[in-house]
Amino acid sequence: MSDLINVIIFLGLLALGYFSGTYFEQQHYKSIKKREKKTLYVPTVTFGAKQAMPEARDAALFAGSVVIGADYFKTFVSYLRNLVGGRVVVYESLLDRGRREALLRMKEQAIAWGATQVVNVRLESSNIGQQAGSNKGMMAIEVIAYGTGVK
Amino acid sequence: MKYTPKEIPEEVNVNVTRVHPLVNFAYLLGTTIGVSILIYLGLGFAAAQLTTRISPEMEIKIGQSLFPKGLFSSSLKNQERLEYVQELATSLQEDMGATRIPITVHLWENEALNAAIFPGGNIVVTTGLLDAVETENELAFVLAHELGHFAARDTLKGLGRSLVFVFVTSAIGLGTQDAGGLSAVVSTSGQLTNLHFRIRQESAADLYALEAIIRRYQHGGNSLDLFERIKVKDSRGKFEEYLSTHPLTQDRIDELNKIAAQRGWLMEGEVTAMPENISNW
Amino acid sequence: MILTTLEGVPGQEIVEHFGLVQGSTIRAKHVGKDIMASFKNIIGGELKGYTELLQEARKEAVERMVSQADRLGANAVVNVRFATSSVAQGAAELFAYGTAVRVK
Repeated sequence: MSDLINVIIFLGLLALGYFSGTYFEQQHYKSIKKREKKTLYVPTVTFGAKQAMPEARDAALFAGSVVIGADYFKTFVSYLRNLVGGRVVVYESLLDRGRREALLRMKEQAIAWGATQVVNVRLESSNIGQQAGSNKGMMAIEVIAYGTGVK
Repeated sequence: MKYTPKEIPEEVNVNVTRVHPLVNFAYLLGTTIGVSILIYLGLGFAAAQLTTRISPEMEIKIGQSLFPKGLFSSSLKNQERLEYVQELATSLQEDMGATRIPITVHLWENEALNAAIFPGGNIVVTTGLLDAVETENELAFVLAHELGHFAARDTLKGLGRSLVFVFVTSAIGLGTQDAGGLSAVVSTSGQLTNLHFRIRQESAADLYALEAIIRRYQHGGNSLDLFERIKVKDSRGKFEEYLSTHPLTQDRIDELNKIAAQRGWLMEGEVTAMPENISNW
Repeated sequence: MILTTLEGVPGQEIVEHFGLVQGSTIRAKHVGKDIMASFKNIIGGELKGYTELLQEARKEAVERMVSQADRLGANAVVNVRFATSSVAQGAAELFAYGTAVRVK
């Protein structure tokens, strides 16, 4: 009987992960797109360090970060992918969402401060769920975006 | 420098591959299961090839190192039963002319109804089984079935397969990580393939047993009564039956009756009773 | 204290620099958050508990860097960079560094 229960729990989690994960992803993308449109008028650029200082009277550091977790379905598919090898499609959207969300959070703070542009933006992502060198633990990615807002 | 606000068109998100997650999932799952099954089939074939090359001395050695001797030290009161079962097993073995390695019988004082063969010719019989059998024919069939496994070296084959399988799974890191259901997928597809081997082995052992019975008693009557009786008690669910190694008992009986009819073996005859002091314990 | 990721402060001039300043902190989240997060790991989505924790920790790393710069007599840190790394199961190091300068 225990075998059957295990299989049912596993399939249940897989289905739950798939449906809820897809739902959250769609919601998140919707919100990302809306906010990206709203904040589009403020330029964010990766240059600035090697250029002449931008004309501005004030500057401040802004950082936006987000920790994003995979769902059960994505985790399982990635384990399978680990055996087969190749492009881990399920995590692509995860990281894409994480980076855009972090950028938006940075930008929104800068806009609230009154920035006219955000220069020398840097992005960094790191895996905080797992111990280095092992596959144990969960999938949690931190993405941080930071840059200098000027006005 | 002029800034022109431009949206990145959403239809072509270059960072996300446009493939349905479920399609991707099906492909990966199919590949993993397929490869697991292929590995297992290959292992089964290799194990069958290798075990036939193992010498009897080697097999005895393997048996000695694997057999948990301490577990089955039968008490003095079981000595008579042990001698009787030993005699029966040896004579069955001689009837079949398969005296590659002499059989050693061990009694296990346990209520469960079971018998098992270990490499090196060690048969373990539970006292529960001895209590349940009503005639010598029934007991002889169970012993001959295990002898059938022994003659085909099924235990060695299974051992070789599982050793290599454990090695392969731990080499790719499945044994240690809590990979969710991944190890379940790989080991289940392995187990199901294993099941395929095991069911074939069980049928072959059954056939071997019936042949031994015919040689000894000139008929197969009453030898299957034990299965008829435990069939009533057997209340496993369909799912577990599917995952269990023994085919359904009714299927086993039907199959044997069919083969007996084909070969013209008698399935009725005089009952050989168990000796008084063995059956009425 | 002015912080920028640029090599200077717009509208001002660097008159003096004091070298590298850095601030770091290692934080672990408590078990409750871990349990919530592992539940969230089934259904997916943002792990808000962790986000807050790391933001707090990053703030602390920046504060440490700023107080170091303060002691050096700087009034700005330029070319600030961040790094995050997981040093143990459930613990992350947040790290900020930059160059302490005095601007006018």
